Amino acid sequence: VIRDHLGSLQLRLALRLTALCAVAIAIAAAVLIYQAYETAGSLNDRELGLRAADLARNVSMSPAGTPRLQMPPKLAASYESAAGADIFAIRGSENRIIAASPPAFGELVRTWPSAGEEAAYFHLKEFGTGSQDFYGLAVVRESAAGLISVYVARAAEADALVHSLLREFILDVAWVVPVLFAIMLAIGVLAIRSGLRPVRRLSQMAAAIGPNSTSVRLPDRNVPTEIVPLVRAVNHALDRLEQGFQVQRQFTANAAHELRTPLTIVTAALDAMEGNGELAKLKVDVARMSRLVDQLLRVARLDAIALDVSEAIDLNEVCSNVVAAMAPLALTHRRTIALSRSERSMRIRGNATAIADAVRNLIENAIAYSPQGGKITVSISDDATVAVADRGSGIRPEDRRAAFERFWRGKNVRTQGAGLGLAIVQEIMSAHGGRVTIDDNPGGGTVFTLSFKMTDQTAVASHVETRACSDTAKSRISVVAGPEEQQQNLPLAGEHRGQAAGHAVQTLKP
Amino acid sequence: MRILIVEDEVRIAELVEGALARAGLVSDTVALFADAKAALAVTPYDAAILDLGLPDGDGLRLIRDLRLARSQIPILVLTARDTVDERVCGLDSGADDYLVKPFATTELIARTKALLRRPGGALGMTLKAGNIVFDTVGRDVKVGEAPLLLPRRESAILEHLMRRLGRVVPKAVLEEKLYGLDDDHESNVVPVHVHHLRRKLMEADATAEIHTVRGVGYLLMEATA
Repeated sequence: VIRDHLGSLQLRLALRLTALCAVAIAIAAAVLIYQAYETAGSLNDRELGLRAADLARNVSMSPAGTPRLQMPPKLAASYESAAGADIFAIRGSENRIIAASPPAFGELVRTWPSAGEEAAYFHLKEFGTGSQDFYGLAVVRESAAGLISVYVARAAEADALVHSLLREFILDVAWVVPVLFAIMLAIGVLAIRSGLRPVRRLSQMAAAIGPNSTSVRLPDRNVPTEIVPLVRAVNHALDRLEQGFQVQRQFTANAAHELRTPLTIVTAALDAMEGNGELAKLKVDVARMSRLVDQLLRVARLDAIALDVSEAIDLNEVCSNVVAAMAPLALTHRRTIALSRSERSMRIRGNATAIADAVRNLIENAIAYSPQGGKITVSISDDATVAVADRGSGIRPEDRRAAFERFWRGKNVRTQGAGLGLAIVQEIMSAHGGRVTIDDNPGGGTVFTLSFKMTDQTAVASHVETRACSDTAKSRISVVAGPEEQQQNLPLAGEHRGQAAGHAVQTLKP
Repeated sequence: MRILIVEDEVRIAELVEGALARAGLVSDTVALFADAKAALAVTPYDAAILDLGLPDGDGLRLIRDLRLARSQIPILVLTARDTVDERVCGLDSGADDYLVKPFATTELIARTKALLRRPGGALGMTLKAGNIVFDTVGRDVKVGEAPLLLPRRESAILEHLMRRLGRVVPKAVLEEKLYGLDDDHESNVVPVHVHHLRRKLMEADATAEIHTVRGVGYLLMEATA
C-alpha cells in the first residue's frame, strides 16, 4: 500500500512542488540576507568616506607651516569614546604622518604606498591592543595643507550593532518563511487534487468494469487532454474484450445447442428401441455422455461468463426446489433425501441458478456414493451455509484438496462421473466469494459445506435468530448440518446429539 | 387426445412422435412458427410441445400470442439453452413446463401427461398412477379393480399427488388444498392424512407409493419393476 502510495502522481507532484518551493524560498531568503548585508556594508563604506572627508576638512596649515589636524571637540570626543574601534591616520607629502589615532596605525601607514584618487579598501588583521580585525578605506583628499592621504578604519566588531540588528530582523521575519512555504504547499496540493479529480473519477469507473459490464466505456469529456489518449486506448481495449466475450458466449451457446440436439436424438432413439441387455448398457453410456457434455458446457460457461451474483435469493427456497427436483432421482436409486431449513429465511446475494447447480451436483454425488437406503440431508444453517451430508464411504483427508480439481475422481471408486461436478461447485462458490469444504459426516460419510457471505440482511436475520431460537433448534441445525466449526461453536451440540437427532426426525417431518 | 409438436429437427420430431404414440397419445408435427399458428387455429389440440428455436420465428412469441388470445392449451417447452434467462422467459411468457435437451423420453412423456392431468386438462377426468385410478368427476378411487374408500381430505391429497405424478408436491400446497376442507388448521394435519393414505394404499396393494421428502413435501411414484 505504501509503495502504491509512493507511486501516486499526486504524491510525486506534491514532492516536486515541495522541493521547488523550498529551493525558491531558500534563494529568496539568501538574496534578501545578502542584500541586507550588502546595504549595511555600503552604508559602512559611505560612513568611512564621510569620516575621511571630515578629517581632511579639519586638516589645516599651522602658522609654523606644518600641516596639522584640528578636530572640533565633538568629533574628537567621538573618536575617544570609540575606544580604539575607530582608527585613522592622515599622511601628508613625503610620507609624513600628520595625525594618527592610535599612533601605531600612523607608524603602519607610513610604510604603505600612497593611496590613489580612487578610494581603496584595506583589511588589517589582528591589529592594535585588542588584536582586532579592521576594515578601512584609504583615500586621497584635497585639504588646506595640500594633497593628503586619509586612512580610516573600523574594527570588525564595531559592525556588530548593525549585524545584530540585521540578525534580529531576519529572525523576526524568519517565521514567515515556513508559513509562506506551508501556504504555497497547501495551495499546490489542493490544485493537484482538484486537477486529478477527473482522473480519480475515471479510475473509479474503470474499477467497476467486469465481465458482466463489458459495455461500460470511460467518458473522454471533462478529462485532462493528457489523459484522453489513455482513456481512448482503454476504451478500445474494452471494445476488443467485449467482442472476445461475445464470441465466447456465442460459442458456448452454440456448442450447447449443437451437441445437445444429436444427443437428444440418440437418447430418444435408444428409448424407442426394444432389445436386450446391450441396449440397456448403451443407454447408460449415452446418459453418461449427456452428463459429461452438460458439465463441460457448464464449466465452459463459468469460464466465459462471470456469474451475476447480485440477485437477492433465499437459500431455503433455492435448496427446497433442488431437493424437490432431485427427490425422484434419489428415490429411484433407493436413497432417501431430506431438507432441513434454517429457522429463519436465509437471504443472501447470489445467483439462484448457479447455487441450485452447485447443490444439485453435490446431491448427484451423494446419490452416486451412498449405499442403497442411504440418507442424504441438505441443511441450511443460520450462518449462511448449505451442507449436503451423505452416508457414503467418505473422502480421505489427503484427497480433499484434489477433489475440487477438474477431472478428479476418487481412487478405487467406480463412478460414472467425469470428475467435473466438484470443480463446478468450487467455481460457483468462488464466484460468490464463498467456499466449499469437505468434512467427515459424524457416523460415516461425507459432508460438503457451501459457505456463503452473509449480507446485512442475513446478519440481521440470524442475529434475531440466535436470540429467538431454542437449544433444540440450535442442536438440530448443527447435527444435521455437521460442519465442524459450527459444532465447536455450540457446546450443546455434542451432549444433545442423540436427542437432537431424534428431535430432528420429528420436527422435520412435513 | 391430440398433441402438437413444434420442432424443426426432423429426427427429434419423429422420435417424440413415436414416444407419444407408444404412450397412447396422437400427435401432429410442424416445423415452422407460421405452420404452428395455422395448426393451432384450426385444430383444438390438448397440449403443445414446443422447441423455442424455430427457423422462422421465436417460440416465445408464439406462446405469448396464444396466451393473449386466451388460449389455455398446456405448453411444454423444449430447449437446448438452459440458462436462467431462457427458463424464466419461457415460463413468464406462459409456458407450463420446460425440458432441457437432451431429455429422457420417459421424462417427456411423464411431463406431458402431467400437463394433461391438470384440472380441465384432457386427462383431468380420470387420473392413473400404477394400478390406482382416480375418477375426478365421480370422485371414486380404484386400486386395480377394487374400490378404495377414502375420506374427503385424503382423496383430495391423492388427487393432487396423482396430478403431479412423479414430482414433489410441497407440503404447503397440500395444506392450501385442505384449507377449505378442514376445520382445524393444525400444522401436522397433512402428515397425519398422508400417513393414513399411505397405509391404505399399501394395504390395497397399490403399485404406486407415496414418498416423503422431509423438509419439502411428498411425491407419488409408480413402483419400478
